[in-house]
Amino acid sequence: MSKPMQPKHQNRFNRTSLYKPTGEVVRHSEYPCRLNFYLRPPPVEISVEDFERFALDRLQVLKTIENATLRNKKADEFRREMDRVSSEHMRMRTGHTKEAMEDRKKDHVSHFILRLAYCRSEDLRAWFLRQECALFRYRFELESRKDKEVFLKSLDINWKVVSQEDKMNMKAELESCAIWTAKAAGIQNVKDFVENETYFEVEFEKVPDLIGRRSVLVRRGKAFVPMTEQISLVMDEFKARLSKALEATAKALPRMDEDERLKPVLLNVEKQYTGKDYGDVTNVTGKVKASEVDGLSQHFPLCMSNLHQSLRKDKHLKHGGRMQYGLFLKGIGLSVEEALVFWRKAFGNHTDDKFQKEYSYNIRHNYGLEGRRVNYAPYSCMKIIQSNQPSTGDHHGCPFRHFSAQSLEATLYKNKVGAPQVNEIVRLAKDRHYQLACTRYFEVTHPEMQSGQVGTIEHPNQYFDMSQGKLPDSDAMTTD
Amino acid sequence: MLDVQAHDEISDIMAMDAAEQNFFSDDDMTEVDRDMSKVHLNQATPDRFKTKSFPMAASNFNSKLTSMQAMENDPVILLRTFYNRFFPYKTYFNWLNYDTTPNKNFVQREFSFTLASDTYLRYNSFSDAEELRNEIERLQPVKIDIGAIYTAKPKDKKTINPKAFQPVEKELVFDIDMTDYDEIRTCCSGGDICHKCWGFMTVAIKVIHAALKEDFGFKHILWVYSGRRGVHCWVCDERARKLNNEARSAIVSYLEVVKGGAEMSRKVKLPATLHPSLTRSLDILRQYFLPLVVKDQGVFNDEKSWKKILNIIPDQAVQAKLAERWEGTDASGKSRWDDLRTELEKNEYAKRKTGDKLNLIPRDIIFQYTYPRLDDKVSTNINHLLKSPFCVHPKTQRVCVPINPDTCDQFDPFSVPTLQTLTKELESYNAANTKETDKRMADYDKTSLKEYIGTFELFVDGLLKEALERKRAEASVSMEF
Ligand code: SF4
Ligand SMILES: [Zn+2]
Repeated sequence: MSKPMQPKHQNRFNRTSLYKPTGEVVRHSEYPCRLNFYLRPPPVEISVEDFERFALDRLQVLKTIENATLRNKKADEFRREMDRVSSEHMRMRTGHTKEAMEDRKKDHVSHFILRLAYCRSEDLRAWFLRQECALFRYRFELESRKDKEVFLKSLDINWKVVSQEDKMNMKAELESCAIWTAKAAGIQNVKDFVENETYFEVEFEKVPDLIGRRSVLVRRGKAFVPMTEQISLVMDEFKARLSKALEATAKALPRMDEDERLKPVLLNVEKQYTGKDYGDVTNVTGKVKASEVDGLSQHFPLCMSNLHQSLRKDKHLKHGGRMQYGLFLKGIGLSVEEALVFWRKAFGNHTDDKFQKEYSYNIRHNYGLEGRRVNYAPYSCMKIIQSNQPSTGDHHGCPFRHFSAQSLEATLYKNKVGAPQVNEIVRLAKDRHYQLACTRYFEVTHPEMQSGQVGTIEHPNQYFDMSQGKLPDSDAMTTD
Repeated sequence: MLDVQAHDEISDIMAMDAAEQNFFSDDDMTEVDRDMSKVHLNQATPDRFKTKSFPMAASNFNSKLTSMQAMENDPVILLRTFYNRFFPYKTYFNWLNYDTTPNKNFVQREFSFTLASDTYLRYNSFSDAEELRNEIERLQPVKIDIGAIYTAKPKDKKTINPKAFQPVEKELVFDIDMTDYDEIRTCCSGGDICHKCWGFMTVAIKVIHAALKEDFGFKHILWVYSGRRGVHCWVCDERARKLNNEARSAIVSYLEVVKGGAEMSRKVKLPATLHPSLTRSLDILRQYFLPLVVKDQGVFNDEKSWKKILNIIPDQAVQAKLAERWEGTDASGKSRWDDLRTELEKNEYAKRKTGDKLNLIPRDIIFQYTYPRLDDKVSTNINHLLKSPFCVHPKTQRVCVPINPDTCDQFDPFSVPTLQTLTKELESYNAANTKETDKRMADYDKTSLKEYIGTFELFVDGLLKEALERKRAEASVSMEF
């Protein structure tokens, strides 16, 4: 194993611009830190076997991240999951041993392979960027203060340090922003914390997450970021650079596709990213009639039965509700003709003319018959929970996420859930395990299904299918 | 009522959907419309306008009116007069161009027009003020929306590779709409407003304006009456125009305090120590809470609305206790508010270990009932279109005039000029003043539109001055080399 990267002759590929065909052996100085911003392509050649193995290993890690986020794992649970999957698939040993260098090289190479595989569309890029950022963040937090410093120095980023005098001039304001930060850093006295902490002064655009959470002081366009929150600054850099790099790779890709050995591997890797696809609506079955929706609504998850009831009550739904519910109905098999009938009847208060003018375009649009003719997919739980928060008068969203505890409780009782289960479900929702709460609700209301058969609810249409006794297609759920 | 409400929602949706579609790529539908409308317009049939009249105007028609009077009240003719004589094209151009000679800010800017026939034309762009003027006068749009600045001229969109046609800059905008206050308003609902609820908009302007200036350091902020039931805000600093969507979302969530849908009674939950920005906001809210919420809105007066407030308290025993004290009495709103505060600020609740700290609830109630409610979709996406200032609202016929934030307490939406009042004012001015100098005056200077255009000109002057200074600075730098 002294020259582990010696290429096998016939499997060698050397036409991509990312891999210099120099056959260079890894030098130790190549990777002084475990952390990597992946600014340069890896200086090695690699066999097609390794190529695929590295890629799949990294993919396991990224998928674990996605899963953990999906399940709203708490920080320590998340770390435990990550420790486990890293030790299985992507060890990152400390020190400067040969093994440590091998780890870092694999990390480096696998990142670049996935970059190739995941740069092909906006969606894939966004997915990859999200998981890679989380992975970097997890690793950054593992490092000692000293290692972080070494790494940051190598990046050569300039952050302006706030002078002691300036700091004292806005002491009171800094203190009222630092309550949580200080607590998280294990310091009870906020005054002490502010006095001893180093603050950076940066343009507010650099730390959107801290601004959005209102956890830093912002004054006249400058954000004052405590050293403890440095991770936000680092993440901003990481994200900005990676996102630019992904776009650049996407532009360069056509050239790489010519490589016949590379292509199938990349496609295989890319395909791994989704399981059964409830977002695939290329064949809307059209089996369901508008008049059957009321009857079927007993199989709807709470988010959809809530929309259904509001629609019946108000004879109207606002835009967010129409989108979420309309696409779901499409997913259960309402054809566009039936959808038009359904909504026309539901909006009983509107004149025909008004309906034609104002709503039918939208409905046809959802079915890809208008506008840019994209066959829109029903929303997943993730999307419902995370994007487009309902505001006044809106009924869309996920009840486990967007109802107050009281309303959720009342809804559950109304749906004949027993008191102990209601408490259990409300507690899950409170702990931000929204989809688990929904899964539990499913189990409680479907006692005929053996528990354990029910995977986590990830999509309202999955809930609907399962409620009708269709088990998720087991082939599609497994990834080899 | 229902009709009106739905209509407004629709126009919002149209803009949003269009933005969504555009976010990805082409919107065939609009393109088709655009072409069709060209056919119509080239035939130049004024008849098209006659067949379509606004609901408001229809009710104004009265068979006894003489034909002259009918002409005066015909919204089509009034709108034409407005575009011919009142619309401040030059200042408007200088604003969106951020300079006096045409550059990409203006030339690559999207304008969209809604015509009286409901046709919606997207992706228009113009080379200068004159071209914009000609097109507006020709189309007589009932609504003008302003979109982003793109990497190329929007009118050439069809012929360019979609990858080469991307939105790059736009003002940071906010939309505050009175319908979002329906659950706390007691006087009106939906599209209606009155003097009792307009105060919500005044507070909103003050709070948001202060945050944009003091926290984010923005200097060029334009507030505009939306013509009916809300206000728009345009942050025009170069830095604001260059924000990416992520930074826009961050600002919105920094500003957002009231959260939660119809099924959530407590919509504000803030930590004991407030962020300095919210401390400043609270000072503003406190000035308005009593006169606006307790007195004008009377939210503690009838049982239905005070029950809503009690529901916010996360302790049912305390809720019941207060309800019992209030039921059937005719105590004043102020005394109930005082009662609620005294009860919740009792030591026993502040000290207790489990459950929420009730002593903070009165503060959060002030936030929930006074703090501005933003329509975040408008602000977070650079693609989103927003109705232009100096449009005329088709329902109220009122002009979307700028509001001076320093004197927004005095702003009265019901005294904003309408198409009818403007035309009348102009006529009576011309009848009374016949000197040569009067003839040379701009028409809007003869009407009550003058002060609003004055506010606008002052605002644009600030922008131009800054542009000039920047050019000088650049010139002096290049001289040094
Ligand atoms: S978890 Fe998903 S399916 Fe269940 S209610 Fe929420 S959004 Fe609907
Ligand atoms: Zn009112």
